[in-house]
Amino acid sequence: MAASARFSYPEEIKDKFIATPGLKFKSGNTVSSAEIWEFMTKEAPRRFPYAFDAGTNHIGRFSADVHFLSGIKRAYLDLTAKDRLLKEHAAGTPTVLVQGGQAMDAYYAAGAIPLRPGLIMRWAGNMDEGLSLRQSETRGLNILESGRRKISIDACNQIAAHAAIDNKVVPVDLIAPYLCLRCSDMAFLVETHRNKAHNIPSYLVDHPVDNENKPWAAEYIATELRELIAKIALLSGKTITDEVIFDEIKLENRGRRIALEIFEQWWAADIPPTNSTDLFGIAHLGQDFVGDSVASVDLLEQGKREILERIKNKVKGTGVPDHAKRLFICGSCVGPNAYHAQSAGAIFVGRDDNYSSLSVLIEETGDPYLNIAKSILAYPYEQRTEKRGKWTADLVKRSRADGVIFMYQWGCNYQSGVARMISDIVKQKTGVPTTFVEVGELGRSEATEQSTNRVEAFIEMV
Amino acid sequence: MGLKSLDKIADALQRRPAELEQLRKAGKKVVGWLAYNIPEEIIYALGLIPIRVGQGGDGRLVEVGARHISTKNCVFVRQALGQFAEKTDPYIKHLDLVAIDATCIQLYRLEELINFYFGYKTVVLGVPRNFATKEGHEYFRKEVEFFTKKLEEFAGVTLEQSKLEKAIWIYDGIRQAIKTLYRYQSLNNAPLSWREVSTVINAGYNLDRGQYLELLQELIIEAKDNLSERSGSENIEARIFLSGSLIPPGDTKLVDIIEHLGGRIIGDDLWSGLNFFLNLEIQEPTPYGVADAYLDRVPHGSLPYLDLASDGRLANLKEQLKAFNADGIIYHTLRYCDAFTFKAGETKDVLGSLPFLEIHTEYSGSDFEAIRTRVEAFIEMIKSKKEIAELV
Repeated sequence: MAASARFSYPEEIKDKFIATPGLKFKSGNTVSSAEIWEFMTKEAPRRFPYAFDAGTNHIGRFSADVHFLSGIKRAYLDLTAKDRLLKEHAAGTPTVLVQGGQAMDAYYAAGAIPLRPGLIMRWAGNMDEGLSLRQSETRGLNILESGRRKISIDACNQIAAHAAIDNKVVPVDLIAPYLCLRCSDMAFLVETHRNKAHNIPSYLVDHPVDNENKPWAAEYIATELRELIAKIALLSGKTITDEVIFDEIKLENRGRRIALEIFEQWWAADIPPTNSTDLFGIAHLGQDFVGDSVASVDLLEQGKREILERIKNKVKGTGVPDHAKRLFICGSCVGPNAYHAQSAGAIFVGRDDNYSSLSVLIEETGDPYLNIAKSILAYPYEQRTEKRGKWTADLVKRSRADGVIFMYQWGCNYQSGVARMISDIVKQKTGVPTTFVEVGELGRSEATEQSTNRVEAFIEMV
Repeated sequence: MGLKSLDKIADALQRRPAELEQLRKAGKKVVGWLAYNIPEEIIYALGLIPIRVGQGGDGRLVEVGARHISTKNCVFVRQALGQFAEKTDPYIKHLDLVAIDATCIQLYRLEELINFYFGYKTVVLGVPRNFATKEGHEYFRKEVEFFTKKLEEFAGVTLEQSKLEKAIWIYDGIRQAIKTLYRYQSLNNAPLSWREVSTVINAGYNLDRGQYLELLQELIIEAKDNLSERSGSENIEARIFLSGSLIPPGDTKLVDIIEHLGGRIIGDDLWSGLNFFLNLEIQEPTPYGVADAYLDRVPHGSLPYLDLASDGRLANLKEQLKAFNADGIIYHTLRYCDAFTFKAGETKDVLGSLPFLEIHTEYSGSDFEAIRTRVEAFIEMIKSKKEIAELV
């Protein structure tokens, strides 16, 4: 891989940026925009040079839209995750491995920091600083392969997160995801920890299938949520009342509402106000990708204001091609490279898995455990495939998508199992072309030609 | 000399498709089922005809199934999908309803696909991942109750206590008979082989369960009478125990290789084999009683269990290895059968010094030679070890 150009934030936006609000955190700490600027222009390029690699193959590359200032703060939250998590953990806040695509309310309410596999993998990657993109990816691959060697070559890439825990690359205090229909590997990977040298406790919250009109399914989950929260409370030392849980639910509901509003406004806009990276980067904070629900909601509010302002002023996001073809992305844990798609004339307008968990608000009165349980069972993405397909078709229409790409990761038995059925239903209901693509390179920058070719060929066809 | 009862079972099986056709003409309904935790007793007690579905070893059907699912799904699921797609299998074509329990979620996906693409009428039985907990039991009781109601609607009758009691009696008899046959086949002077017992189990997928029990009882009497007619082997044997992913009817690749190379299979803990018949004791003839018994049986590998020390599946494995006096274990895993594949290393660790060989495979023949070489070395190693032990 040839050395790529370096990305940097131009000095001319500095004054405008530092005039914007800073960020608030769950710990009660705040950071000013001047401090964020300092970090993103001096400290971060030194500590995390890989993140500033501007090569088009770098799927985690920062948004080129430097005038969308919330995007800079979003990148800041990513690159400071390591410091924040280590600091919080040292102060006694338990860290918990959880499933992606789920509401994190219960974990935060119980006083923990929930970490999806992707966040643990990034955290583990950042534990070694000063790495180029290639060095960083090699480090990630080494962790991943150490996991596959111990367990199986058939495992999907999330095994890297389990290996990072097992190898003590990052400190995790509890392994306790909700199960779901999105992921075939999580349950069995959690089970593998019983044969490891570490003594990290584990727990699974079940996900009963075919649960429609079965009140006993939600009751079953609610009982398990009580046990989960009690386990976390033992670690965090917090007293968990219904009120504490509702406070967190109200905060995260606020985030989910903002995220939904962003999508609605963005979809309705004549001109896409941001590129795909910024749309997903901000709106998906409603699902917390950064290990801090307060910071996520704070940035969602700021991001929404910026997006609405752009829509009002008919500003097009930097990087959005003229007459861009609008693509809706389906599948879990993986998606196409936004820069490649933009080069080929397309923009991504939504993702089914992320939108699913944003779309279900948790009731704010009554039994909070049962409310969370009902919300888990209500995710459209976790419904029977036919129902999920119809819901996806509706989203495709609402987002005015011109095409749909269903991507699934190597080793994902459940998403691969329904990729064709979802694609067929969406095509039948909307008339837009669909394709499905299996990828094995999840997040890497090398050997991406096969998936890139298929995505670009599809965009050309659209 | 083969046992005559085995021929009788084979004959009954040959007549079965035509019988089913006649029964359906007479108004009987056929319920095909897949997975591990469908309570057949309830299907049978409602006057429905249960047929256990699912075969392996046919690469062509795997390809047919793969048109609607992906290559990242296990070959058993892909082949089953291929069978449902083609509808030429003599049993599949007679199905009025397909019941699938969600022990393995890939099979749950299969249910969705056959319903959507091929129009099969289906019913799902939810199975808790946390099967060992009180709340897991509560959930499963409600699921079995719901499942029973669905079947009652389908059958047009209500479940009668006396009929359920009779069904429980028949199925308990079948389970006892299979356990006895397993014991016989493992003896030195065994009158039948593991392969033959496996064929008998597979016949039970399709035969009328009452008739099947009678045939099993005849076979047991005949096998017992013939125990002394075959002398024990004078040669040093490699007594192989099979574990891991299922080996369904039709999937003979590994079994053929082991036997061709002189290994003797003497037991298994497969969910397509002996495990299906173990530790299932229905204490109370009600849907709740049935639910509890099914959940308390030897757990299926697809249900995760987080405490290694108290894992019932591993405890059963150790017990069976001892009971069958196994010399080594071949742990068979199908590609993308994560439930068993991810446990391979752990199972080896748990079993300690017992010779252990993992075979990770599919239904294609492309890895035949590679497997043969590995199995041959494994069997030679076991035999050499035993020869040395005899000399010492």
